[in-house]
Amino acid sequence: MTVKELQAKLDLKPLNEASDKEIEGAFISDMVSDVMAGAQPGNIWVTVQTHKNIIAAANLVDIPAIIVVRGKQVPEDTLQMADRVGVTVFSTDLDSYSIATKLYEAGIKPAG
Amino acid sequence: MTNIRDGFIVTEKCYHCNKKRVFFSYEDVPPKDEYKEGEHYWNYAGSAQSFKFDMECTNCGKTVSFEALMGLMHCVGCDARCHMNILSQICEGQNVWLFAALAYHLGSEIDLPVENLEILTDYFTSRLRTPGKKILVVPGSLRRDPDICRGEMLKDVGMLSLTPET
Repeated sequence: MTVKELQAKLDLKPLNEASDKEIEGAFISDMVSDVMAGAQPGNIWVTVQTHKNIIAAANLVDIPAIIVVRGKQVPEDTLQMADRVGVTVFSTDLDSYSIATKLYEAGIKPAG
Repeated sequence: MTNIRDGFIVTEKCYHCNKKRVFFSYEDVPPKDEYKEGEHYWNYAGSAQSFKFDMECTNCGKTVSFEALMGLMHCVGCDARCHMNILSQICEGQNVWLFAALAYHLGSEIDLPVENLEILTDYFTSRLRTPGKKILVVPGSLRRDPDICRGEMLKDVGMLSLTPET
């Protein structure tokens, strides 16, 4: 499933342009270090963090998209960096558990 | 990636000479003591959760220590005359993404050996799925002035609110 397809399926709000990159698996963590060590390339990352170093970490691990949960405001400099490196950022009012359930129902399995 | 150890990157400043030093603490709570050491009066200036790791060759089992590595830094283009910025702009056009390896020994910044930089470059590039994309890990000394550099070091900003204060 591509990032664009997932956006339509889950009715996610894109904060920048949704890409056609493939998503394979999901990773949920609020720690950048955890993502560097445990996330797999192609995973969609669910987090409450909005600092721009989430984008640097996503770029390093080759994560195509991030879902920021609980309606957290994402700073403009984070979105500018996301555009620069080609990472899609979504926003949702749901919490991590709820969006994880929806991802699973959409066929996205945990990282690994 | 092996021997993953959690801890804190701690920054201290000498209020006498303004010298900065960075070290990694494995304690549950980052140390915030003020103390005198030689000519310096060290004060806590901030910390962030992060982790250390070593690298193990999956072919021969050899482990290479990355004890000096404090973190990887992504250039944000804050200094037009900085070599890291100039090189980043050139490389990004070719889908090559630069990360500076910031390493410290006894509080002072050092460069990792070239062999270690190559290990990190190979490891992170080998994990990528995007065709043509490459990660290039370069020495921290590519930055023109570390004191004014606003590059994004990969660490857990804002996580300390979850840590009990002493």
